[in-house]
Amino acid sequence: MNRSVILVLLVVASLLASCSPSHSDRIVVGSKNFTESFLLAEIFAQLIEANTHLKVERRFYLAGTYICQQAILAGRIDLYPEYTGTALTAILKENAGSDKQAVYHKVKREYERRFQLTLGPAMGFNDTFAMEIRGDDARRLNLATLSQAAAFIPHWRAGFGYEFMERPDGYRGLAATYGLHFEEPPRVMDLGLLARALKDHQIDLAAGNATDGLIPALGLVVLADDRHYFPPYEAVPVIREQSLQQHPEIADVLGRLADKISDVEMQRLNYAVDGEHLDVKDVAREFLKRKQLVP
Amino acid sequence: MNVFRFMVQNHQQVLELTAEHLRLVGFSTLFAMLIGIPLGIVIAHRPRFNQPVLAGANIIQTIPSLALFGFLLPLPWLGERSDRLAILALTLYALLPIIRNTYTGIKGVDASVVEAGRGMGLTESQLLFQVELPLAVSVILSGVRVAIVISVGLATIAAAIGAGGLGEFIFRGLAMVDNRVILAGAIPAALLALLADFGVGWLEKRLQPR
Amino acid sequence: MESPVSLANVPTEGSIPVIEFRDVSYRVAGTVVLSGFNLQVQRGETLVLLGRSGSGKTTSLKLVNRLVAPTAGKILVKGVPNSEDDLIRLRRGIGYVIQEVGLFPHFTIERNIGLVPKIEGWAPGKIRARVEELLKLIGLPQEIAVRYPHQLSGGQRQRVGVARALAADPEILLMDEPFGALDPLTRDELQREFLLLQQRLHKTVLFVTHDLREAMRLGSRIALMEAGRLMTVLSPGEFLRSTDPMASAYVRAFGEGLESAANRETS
Repeated sequence: MNRSVILVLLVVASLLASCSPSHSDRIVVGSKNFTESFLLAEIFAQLIEANTHLKVERRFYLAGTYICQQAILAGRIDLYPEYTGTALTAILKENAGSDKQAVYHKVKREYERRFQLTLGPAMGFNDTFAMEIRGDDARRLNLATLSQAAAFIPHWRAGFGYEFMERPDGYRGLAATYGLHFEEPPRVMDLGLLARALKDHQIDLAAGNATDGLIPALGLVVLADDRHYFPPYEAVPVIREQSLQQHPEIADVLGRLADKISDVEMQRLNYAVDGEHLDVKDVAREFLKRKQLVP
Repeated sequence: MNVFRFMVQNHQQVLELTAEHLRLVGFSTLFAMLIGIPLGIVIAHRPRFNQPVLAGANIIQTIPSLALFGFLLPLPWLGERSDRLAILALTLYALLPIIRNTYTGIKGVDASVVEAGRGMGLTESQLLFQVELPLAVSVILSGVRVAIVISVGLATIAAAIGAGGLGEFIFRGLAMVDNRVILAGAIPAALLALLADFGVGWLEKRLQPR
Repeated sequence: MESPVSLANVPTEGSIPVIEFRDVSYRVAGTVVLSGFNLQVQRGETLVLLGRSGSGKTTSLKLVNRLVAPTAGKILVKGVPNSEDDLIRLRRGIGYVIQEVGLFPHFTIERNIGLVPKIEGWAPGKIRARVEELLKLIGLPQEIAVRYPHQLSGGQRQRVGVARALAADPEILLMDEPFGALDPLTRDELQREFLLLQQRLHKTVLFVTHDLREAMRLGSRIALMEAGRLMTVLSPGEFLRSTDPMASAYVRAFGEGLESAANRETS
């Protein structure tokens, strides 16, 4: 009886030992569960597949920043797209700054020090909060910045997402920075409905994302944050240092994306998927070909 | 069927997630056994502690799993990595069936056998390892079996806090609104539970005292 | 009430009793199980503790191998108080046979019998030889050595129980109603075999029973107990003729055939 117990325990132990994640022959790319995230991740994946001998596995639709962070720390994924501002506040739990470069370097430094993770170069767009108004209003009232719009704000109706209303670096801070005051309290709405509500004149000002595909599609204008209230949310690839050591060619490949995607470009890519319902893989492929990033 | 074709096409990921799942369940069950079996032996021999220990394990069981994950998050070292956290939580949930069955198993050993053994001059440790444990092993194993089956199910929820495993397919499938992905996680998880139930059950029968 | 002096209680010249109870009392949860217990057991004798349930006889037995500890007084085994002795050594030097037998169900008969020799570190060859010898002694075929307890009859199991108790060749045997759970035929057989065994081995035996017939047959002396006190200690012959109210009550209760039992007739 003792013998069979020992046998069973040995089997269990070897099973456990073989279960630690290690995939030295391929790269696993993760993404969060919204369009922009898996567009970027798909771009990473195809870029690596086309320019190296590495196989790429996709682990998309991970439910959020925390999940992605845990997955990359545990080595279950090697690479995923993140935003500098999110990394700074949600993961490093520090106060947001407003200088793009400073934030980027701080995040890179801390990630390398604390997590053995590093950042690739920023891809060129800033997916920060966007205060959107109708194009007509912008032209008619000659508005380009938030400071300029402040005079008209009291008579406007605003629509915000729940998070923007509640976060300290959301509405409250914005109103304080620009001295905004709405006569009619802002309405809390589902993010997906904001743009349409704006178009249909149900609201006059919406807090969306800077790279939302509907901005160009509906001719909306983003008021510039001239007082630099919103922290930068530059999109960067986050990658495990161990994976880079094993496959240094990835660094070159990801480096090619530096500054290749402008705000407008990202808006167009998002719209292709969300608005025109094209396949993410096709949109990514077309982008890479156009930018001559793949042979 | 669509889902099986999906699983075959993505077999590498299915295997990887299954391995992650097994790691969560394997470690937590092992730790629960290392803590629970000795505890069960202690309360079987010293009935004074019987109440508080069993009550404590019972209370842990009543905490909803996601809530327990949330409570454990602030812990140093353990709370930093969600797979460690998940293993801790799963260990806690596995304690009750293991402690209780060890207790029942040891108490269920024929008292005259124990008396004869003691009267013959067996030391307490010889009594425990050569008489009580071998005779109780079948009952203890059935507690382990229950613990494993519970863990396989709970481990799917652990994916919600980023611990990986087959639950990740389920949550991703939900976000993608894709049944194939959901089932690619649910089916292997169910199979794992059935396999464990069957396998350990077979071992129980083989080790039953005559 | 002091126990009446009888010739039977006077120690033989020059020998210390193998077992001695000195002013032993035992209380548990407010109940007096044993009080003022004084008794000596001589080498080679079979002393029977006779009494009904609750008389304290089983407790007295357990006090010898210290499965139970007295609340007052002491028990001396081979002249040494058993509270000072290494408990394990004490118990390994005493054979213990109980009514339920308590064989280890997951061990073969061979492993059951050979357990104490094994934990005493005997060589495997020596253990096997001893098991063979004992099986012969208790009249069981060699082939049952590889069987398991559940495959044996009640009588066979108790024989194995006795063999197990004798395995390490202890000087003392404690037997707690060992044949009580067996059918009359088997009981008779085993009693007969016990007598033969004793003739050969001359162990010092403390034997508990509530059956006067058995006491007559097996005991060299009978210690009558009632409500935790020792009433009297008599040889079987003396017991039959005794005018002690308790003793004569017993004799009456058991009726015919006690004479022949006392004479150790085996018909």
